[in-house]
Amino acid sequence: SLLCHFIFSSPYPYCIISIIFIQLHLVLCFYLENQLSEMKKKAVDALPGSSWSPVLINPNLPPERADIVIVGGGVIGWSIAYWLKQKERVRGGLRVIVVERDPTYSRASTVLSAGGIRQQFSLLENIHLSLASADFMRNINDHLFVLKEDPVDLQFNHSGYMFLANEQVAHIMEENYRTQRSAGAEVSLLSPTQVKEKFPWINTDGVALASYGLENEGWFDPWSLLNAFRRKAVSMGVVQCCGEVTGFKYKTNVVNSVDGEQMFIRRIQSVKVQMPNSLEYQPVECAIVVNAAGAFSGKLAEMLGIGSSPEDSIAGIPLPVEPRKRYIYVVHCPDGPGLDTPFLIDYSGVYFRREGLGGNYITGTSPEEDEEPDTSNLDVDHEFFVDKVWPSLAHRVPAFEKLKVTSAWAGFYDYNTFDQNGIIGVHPLINNMYFATGFSGHGLQQSPAVGRGVAELILDGNFRTLDLSGLSFRRILTQEPMLERNIV
Amino acid sequence: MLKILIPTVMLVVTTWNVRAKWLWPATLTHSLLISMLSLTWFAHTSETGWKSLNSYMATDLISTPLLVLSCWLLPIMILASQNHLSQEPANRQRTYISLLISLQIFLILAFSSTEIVLFFLMFEATLIPTLMIITRWGSQAERLNAGTYFLFYTLAGSLPLLVSILYIQTCAGTTSLLILHYAPALPMTSFADKLLWAGCLLAFLVKMPLYGIHLWLPKAHVEAPIAGSMVLAAVLLKLGGYGMMRIMVILEPLTKELCYPFIILALWGVIMTGSICLRQTDLKSLIAYSSVGHMGLVAAAILIQTPWSFTGALILMIAHGLTSSALFCLANTNYERTHSRTMLLARGLQAIFPLMASWWFLASLANLALPPLPNLMGELMIVTSLFNWSWFTLLLTGAGTLITAGYSLYMFLMTQRGPLPVHILGLEPSHSREHLLLTLHLLPLLLLIMKPELIWGWAI
Repeated sequence: SLLCHFIFSSPYPYCIISIIFIQLHLVLCFYLENQLSEMKKKAVDALPGSSWSPVLINPNLPPERADIVIVGGGVIGWSIAYWLKQKERVRGGLRVIVVERDPTYSRASTVLSAGGIRQQFSLLENIHLSLASADFMRNINDHLFVLKEDPVDLQFNHSGYMFLANEQVAHIMEENYRTQRSAGAEVSLLSPTQVKEKFPWINTDGVALASYGLENEGWFDPWSLLNAFRRKAVSMGVVQCCGEVTGFKYKTNVVNSVDGEQMFIRRIQSVKVQMPNSLEYQPVECAIVVNAAGAFSGKLAEMLGIGSSPEDSIAGIPLPVEPRKRYIYVVHCPDGPGLDTPFLIDYSGVYFRREGLGGNYITGTSPEEDEEPDTSNLDVDHEFFVDKVWPSLAHRVPAFEKLKVTSAWAGFYDYNTFDQNGIIGVHPLINNMYFATGFSGHGLQQSPAVGRGVAELILDGNFRTLDLSGLSFRRILTQEPMLERNIV
Repeated sequence: MLKILIPTVMLVVTTWNVRAKWLWPATLTHSLLISMLSLTWFAHTSETGWKSLNSYMATDLISTPLLVLSCWLLPIMILASQNHLSQEPANRQRTYISLLISLQIFLILAFSSTEIVLFFLMFEATLIPTLMIITRWGSQAERLNAGTYFLFYTLAGSLPLLVSILYIQTCAGTTSLLILHYAPALPMTSFADKLLWAGCLLAFLVKMPLYGIHLWLPKAHVEAPIAGSMVLAAVLLKLGGYGMMRIMVILEPLTKELCYPFIILALWGVIMTGSICLRQTDLKSLIAYSSVGHMGLVAAAILIQTPWSFTGALILMIAHGLTSSALFCLANTNYERTHSRTMLLARGLQAIFPLMASWWFLASLANLALPPLPNLMGELMIVTSLFNWSWFTLLLTGAGTLITAGYSLYMFLMTQRGPLPVHILGLEPSHSREHLLLTLHLLPLLLLIMKPELIWGWAI
């Protein structure tokens, strides 16, 4: 500062020279400083074991304590994490961690899904869930936009679903249509001639009635939705942990029910998270555990002893969710249906939808109950396509008689063996475990609304926007299934 | 004096020699007996002067309430720690109780010391057991950070205090409070004397804590186990207040000008911490910040040095000690059941724990200084004396009282009222031990309504 004072007191031309001199001086100094720090860094890196610390803590371990542990990093898990953070009143009010054992998502149902969304269900809860989720996804950037990152693009194709019904089930379709319309879904019924007019490539042989969704139906990219939820939740402070839940530490209370039956009520105190490929584990002390493990939720529930007691007690009822393998085949047909093809589902169970703009389609069907494929791996059975899918497909769409299977994959449904609908709520015997699983193939499309529902259940004590109490565990205890009529 | 100190020291021996099965009942009973004995200190035959006098220790009207509070706190701490330590091996339990008892010994020596040097030594000595309790038995990884903050904030404030005490020794020839209060005033004219003033008070202001240097308190309170939080809130903060009261006498006449920034900081802190409390999601953090607010009032009162303000400060210290400790115990009952300190996750508890809800109610009302509790008496005397000192302070203290009422009610309504989440239904019922614990906190508070003369100090 003395130098500056001295320089600026001298006459004008000398000022300019001195300013230039000072600039050079500063630039040189900064340049030298940078050089010095670079050299220091190089020296430190060159030394062996430079990041050694006497107290080596695995940085990948989850924190020792969290308020809510969400087991399962699929779209349901991340949706719940996002909504929990959305509803905490103060930033940092809740500590949420999401535990996912496979960060590559190689076996997760979310990313292996066909990605469709429809409101054509027969249960009101399902219709409301899909409607709310469709609304969420249409305005996804109002919810999941993160500053300074790219906006979310779900590639939502609003092409709609079309269900085809034959003579026997046409009346069910009509009743469902009335339910859907009363719930606010934009669905229309079409006669075979109308279908033929609209979509000339369909063979309407055997079709008595068709139900076509006009709005909020179609398909989207599940990976984008999962990543959007994950990115937003992480930006709001959710901790992501890569590990597998291998056990729980819980406290048991013995309670006598009204009928005199002795019940063991458990309260989870901590979750044991094991690191991948290692014996190292971290017990995460928590207040609430959310089971969003999808196809593997049943195994998680078994760790708590659900279903391991004799059959005739409440504790003997297992969580009725198991993985079921479903195949999806990508076919190429150059002369196939056009760009406005809806997600077509035939009454035989075969479905297909357009994939991209190059004449590719995704197709598949549900196998019969007694021919369920083996769930120990995700290998694809190509014979299944030839035997079960192609005949019905070619019958319905004559253009598909000439097609080529370019690719195929298999994914698990988190299949609810009881009534193939989601289970949302607390287990009667485990005080602080919430379930959000068992959606049997329509979990992805309902994930935003399910996440909001579970967050409301945890933080507000009860459902606020949508009443999902019909999907609680109660129906499994009382053995009253809520079956969908017409599922795929 | 010795009839309290020697049993307390021997209590350590008891802890290590009693059979594991009788550890908790034995230590509880013995510490309760000691606290009953300590009540004899209240029998003041004269309104002024020192009692129970020997060469190094004495009690007078300021130190007696704080001494009785510290003695009362040991059985309550033992009662509160019983549950969460039950899983530990016996020797670790004994270590923990020994740490609590050693804290007790240091506190008794601190409050009853007549020499400032002894007080300083005990002031520093209390840091060690507290640090051990926080860093070893705290529940989260942040406890190391909390211990560091706690230790270094206090030590950094105490170093100037050590220098100042040594200077007082050379200048006045003595550090005995019995003499210094009657000694001629020290010459306080140069800049160095202003540093002396600051050096004497800084350690106590950090300990109180004053608003600008309060950062260690939320961390330490939140990360400490229940006994740690209780002793921190109830007594260790009051060490700062008591030290300030003792040392202010020799710091005249500088205080008249130099106290301004600290009074302003303290009163502003009341409002700021109150506002922070309204936004807290962590229950223990809320109670910790409320402690900062209340102690800000005490700091401001001590700094203006009027009889009413000293009385108000003393009453508020005792009442806040009991109330804050009770609130921490209530938060701990929540924590032991849900394993989470987040308020959002433990709501509507009145429906399942009705008796605990009534303790919550009483403690929240005490926190917001409801008449006729001594909390109100202390706050009112402080506000009045501050108003007399300068009428501007009424804006700050009035707003502070309003916000205090706001967050106390917020805490009560958030935890007790509201929708009951499903996962709360299966919590285990309240233990009688917890009810006893809260009774032992709130009963003295209620009894003090009847006889506040016990904690008045020298006023009136």
